[in-house]
Amino acid sequence: MSFSIDHGETFGLLGPNGAGKTTSISMIAGLLRADAGEIVVAGKPITTSSVRGKAAIGLVPQELAIYPDLTARENLMFFGRLYGLSDLEDRVNEILGVIGLTDRARDLTKEFSGGMKRRLNIGIGLLHRPELLILDEPTVGVDPQSRNAILESVEALSSEGMAVLYTTHYMEEAERLCDRVAIIDEGEIRAEGTRRELVSLVGGKDRVTIAGSGNLAAAADVVRSMPDVAEASVSDHTIQILAADASRLLPDLLIGITGTGASITSVDVEEPNLEAVFLHLTGKALRD
Amino acid sequence: MGAASKIAAKDLRLRIRDRSVFILAVLVPLALALIFDAVFGSALEQGELSLEYGVVDEDHSDLSLIFLDTLRAIEGEGVLTLTVFDGRSEADAAVESGEMDAYFLVSEGLGAAVAQGGSGRIEVVGEVDAPTSTQIATSIAEQFGAGVATAQLSVSTSAAMLGAEPTEEQIAAWTEAAVAAERPFMFSDVSAATRQLDAPTYFAAGMAVFFLFFTVQFGVSGLLEEERQGTLSRLMSAPIGRMSVVAGKAILAFVIGIVATTILIVATRLLIGASWGAPWGVVMLVVAGVLCSIGIMGLVASAAKTPEGAGNMGAIVAVILGMLGGVFFPIGSGDDLLSKLQFITPHAWFMRGLGDLADGAEWTAALPATAALLVFAAVSSVVAVGLLRRRYRG
Repeated sequence: MSFSIDHGETFGLLGPNGAGKTTSISMIAGLLRADAGEIVVAGKPITTSSVRGKAAIGLVPQELAIYPDLTARENLMFFGRLYGLSDLEDRVNEILGVIGLTDRARDLTKEFSGGMKRRLNIGIGLLHRPELLILDEPTVGVDPQSRNAILESVEALSSEGMAVLYTTHYMEEAERLCDRVAIIDEGEIRAEGTRRELVSLVGGKDRVTIAGSGNLAAAADVVRSMPDVAEASVSDHTIQILAADASRLLPDLLIGITGTGASITSVDVEEPNLEAVFLHLTGKALRD
Repeated sequence: MGAASKIAAKDLRLRIRDRSVFILAVLVPLALALIFDAVFGSALEQGELSLEYGVVDEDHSDLSLIFLDTLRAIEGEGVLTLTVFDGRSEADAAVESGEMDAYFLVSEGLGAAVAQGGSGRIEVVGEVDAPTSTQIATSIAEQFGAGVATAQLSVSTSAAMLGAEPTEEQIAAWTEAAVAAERPFMFSDVSAATRQLDAPTYFAAGMAVFFLFFTVQFGVSGLLEEERQGTLSRLMSAPIGRMSVVAGKAILAFVIGIVATTILIVATRLLIGASWGAPWGVVMLVVAGVLCSIGIMGLVASAAKTPEGAGNMGAIVAVILGMLGGVFFPIGSGDDLLSKLQFITPHAWFMRGLGDLADGAEWTAALPATAALLVFAAVSSVVAVGLLRRRYRG
């Protein structure tokens, strides 16, 4: 596995549960010893015993990593002291504002909602102004509102020049946030690049799913003979079609199918996405 | 302030907020020490040897004077107190009033009878509620009698060998030598190993060292709590030495252990009059005891998977070591297996150290026990750190 992340870039590690995302970032954060290879962050090598290199990294673990019997301010102050921040009070106040917890700063975090705890979890990772922020599936188990707030925060951090390493098994999060994505499975990177580059790996074809009744096999034959249609197959009363620029081709497809006497009950057009890329590369779905 | 101190300060704040530390570290041991002292204190005190004997010498012979000298020699060793009465009535009154445990009556004619090869009697009159003391007095008299019999044998043997009766001076000298050789009891200087604490100090010390092993768990099991609540990964990813986290937990355990034990010492001194001995000796023992408990409970925690597991295993270890170490009831100092086995526990060494400091001994008297506790601490700590390094090496 080899990749690099530039300043201001959000790099995604996309893979299903158990693909090796958390293990990879644990090594990058100096929690686990790598069997081989080298990890360099901000020019400093990272090992489990690194001290200076770790100062450049902000880790937001997948599990909440806060003290429930300390207040939000006390949590931030404690971790700020560990990083030796000289402007600790000011920085803590600033972060409390960023994560929207200024009004609840003196409350014990065990009294917080799940979303508030998540925001504090991220705030602690940001506290020491890291050059690389590692977020390990930060939206797992988060309500939609808090999830959106977290994604907006990540976008803002990236725009401020921070390098972000973001792991997720949510394809839509990777597509929204990440400048580049590495698709990871069984501890190996299967493909890496921008969304466009990855989509091109599956030929850039749209997927059209038409459900109906009648002689769908005959309808599929008609569709298959049309120009720009790469593939058409029938299963479970649906015709699956792979075609370039499906939106333009759709009227011809519908006319051709109904012309065979088949009737259509629904039509769905999907542009190629990372889910399709993952399926293409690994033969399994992201949520498997 | 180093990273370890910052972690310890954070944990201390959490522990103060969680009031259970006060309950387990101070209130429970203090309450138990008070209860044990109230319930079992008098029973423990009865175990102390303190003999009040009288003697009535109606004979006034050389032999009766030798008997008096023998009793005075034992008195000089600090175990019995001897009072010489002029007559039986006075001695009877002292025994009946409980002032004396027993008295020896040397009847008139004893010396003359023995000198002529006959027999005489030394009577022991004991107080009915002091059977043990009376039995000891009887034994003293019997042993003296055995010595006299040996002397008589020497006299008759000498007479046969010399072909002449020995002089009175020779008879007296042989008798004295025989009695000295047959000393009824050897009240040797009480060794450090057998010295006993008084009841308040015993129970206070026992509860202090017993609960110390529970108290330090607030610190040493903190590593497992960090792991469970996910904060360990955040600490490990911070720019601090890896062992700073472990050191932070050890510092907290040390602080809580020292503070809790100090409070117990002061409180039991004020409330039940526990006498802990030379302050510097007590300081040495407490510090060594705390380090030892941290090492052993750290070893337990390093082998456990969860804080609950560490707590359960720790409790088992603490109770077994405490029972074996004699924190609830004295194990004794004989040659039996249990008496020897107790010294595989730090508890027994802690109690012994305090025993060594009893009766106004210098602080240096606690050095052997302190050294033993430090050996326990060193060995257990090295193993615990080794296990933790393996566990968190990444």
